[in-house]
Amino acid sequence: MRYLWKDQVRRWPHLALFILVCVCFFPGTVPVLAAQSVDYERPVPILTGNAGYFTTYDNGTNELVPEVIPVLLVPLEDRWLIESRAEFYGGFDSSKGQPYGGEVHKDLDYLQADYIANRYLTVTAGRFLTPFGIYNERLYPIWIRDLNQVPLIFPIESGSSDGAMLRGGFALSSWANLNYATYFSSEETNTTLESNRGFGTRTGVFFNRPRIEIGMSWRKELADERHNAIGMHFAWQPPPIPLNLRAEYARSEYGSGYWVEGAYRFSQIHGWNQVMRRTELVGRMQQYFSGAEKLADSGGKYSLPHGDTQQPDFGLNYYLKDGLKASASYARWLGKHNWNTWTYGIAWRFAMPLARLGGQ
Amino acid sequence: MKNKIAILAGIPILASLLWAGTPNSDGTPAKTNEAAPAPVVFNHDDPSGMRLEGERRFRTNCGRCHAAPHKFPPRMMATIVRHMRVRATITDEDMRFVLYYMTQ
Repeated sequence: MRYLWKDQVRRWPHLALFILVCVCFFPGTVPVLAAQSVDYERPVPILTGNAGYFTTYDNGTNELVPEVIPVLLVPLEDRWLIESRAEFYGGFDSSKGQPYGGEVHKDLDYLQADYIANRYLTVTAGRFLTPFGIYNERLYPIWIRDLNQVPLIFPIESGSSDGAMLRGGFALSSWANLNYATYFSSEETNTTLESNRGFGTRTGVFFNRPRIEIGMSWRKELADERHNAIGMHFAWQPPPIPLNLRAEYARSEYGSGYWVEGAYRFSQIHGWNQVMRRTELVGRMQQYFSGAEKLADSGGKYSLPHGDTQQPDFGLNYYLKDGLKASASYARWLGKHNWNTWTYGIAWRFAMPLARLGGQ
Repeated sequence: MKNKIAILAGIPILASLLWAGTPNSDGTPAKTNEAAPAPVVFNHDDPSGMRLEGERRFRTNCGRCHAAPHKFPPRMMATIVRHMRVRATITDEDMRFVLYYMTQ
């Protein structure tokens, strides 16, 4: 019986294709969205993304990290979107006065087709960011994240999956929205398209008056060992003040941990307002507790600490203009050994059309 | 066995989602669950009100993750908002108001 079930699991890609075809050709869903877009200009393909250059001084090593992360968006008709994001980044380090050396890496984060079936459901197929927590999908771009260093637990929740996903968001009432994403992925060993077989789901409720979001995630691996991972996330933007509070917790066989982050924009300070409203102060506290198993180092950009670790972070961001941010941060690594990490750099978000915009 | 139960439970949920969004045979939107909220009227005769509502929804949804960007040309904005609808799972109604606000 167990072997039969394993065989069924291997057929999931076929099930995904079947669901996708059913939804795509579900005739009744067409008029709803067709009616929604008649009032707007037709969307055009665009190339957007971000670029940055950061320097990190970490435990006696100086590292230079230039990076370019292009995002291609190609809308098709009223209901389709093809989107892709790649990362090109270098890591050039030097310690004790030695010359800089390193490599340039490239990753394909996602290459997916989205089909907006109706107001409740979007079907995604291809390679997509694994929906676990909020950092990987929403906060990862360097022009968005408040601190350049990702949280310690980020490798537990990050990554991409190859398969299919159902997701959406809709109003539960006038004061709460529900969002969800559920997916399954197949195993892929190609280094560019690496993915693990598994499935998972994330759901969250956003209370729009107090601006609080609470959610949880679950992932089940269907490899030789069937591990579970769970996560919880919280976000709050209290309406009266320009404060952004976020937190995540994740637990898997590779360990567990949390981060709590607050970012305050000085826009309500009257003195030197031209400068203060562009300035943001950030603080983060995080802890990681090592698990029963070690996460294999795939040579990627991020890895988990080797033992129990805690790290307070402080940062300062200055928004020079729209999409251009200078930032500096300090972190104190408190593990088996303790050291300071200083990071400073600049991030830029760009966007350009790939077709004629016509008369505006 | 638990996985089987999960899939068996998931199929009716998926079917419900598809059914809920399916319009009636005359092309009018489907009647949704009685408990679901009535959609806010998208009133083109009140551009000022729509702009205010769009700004409120922009701050509520987009401001949760990033600082406010400047306004792009409408055809670019339509693409960006579609992308963000998928990425941030914002509701269809929020997307429409934000798009209106960002293209005014």
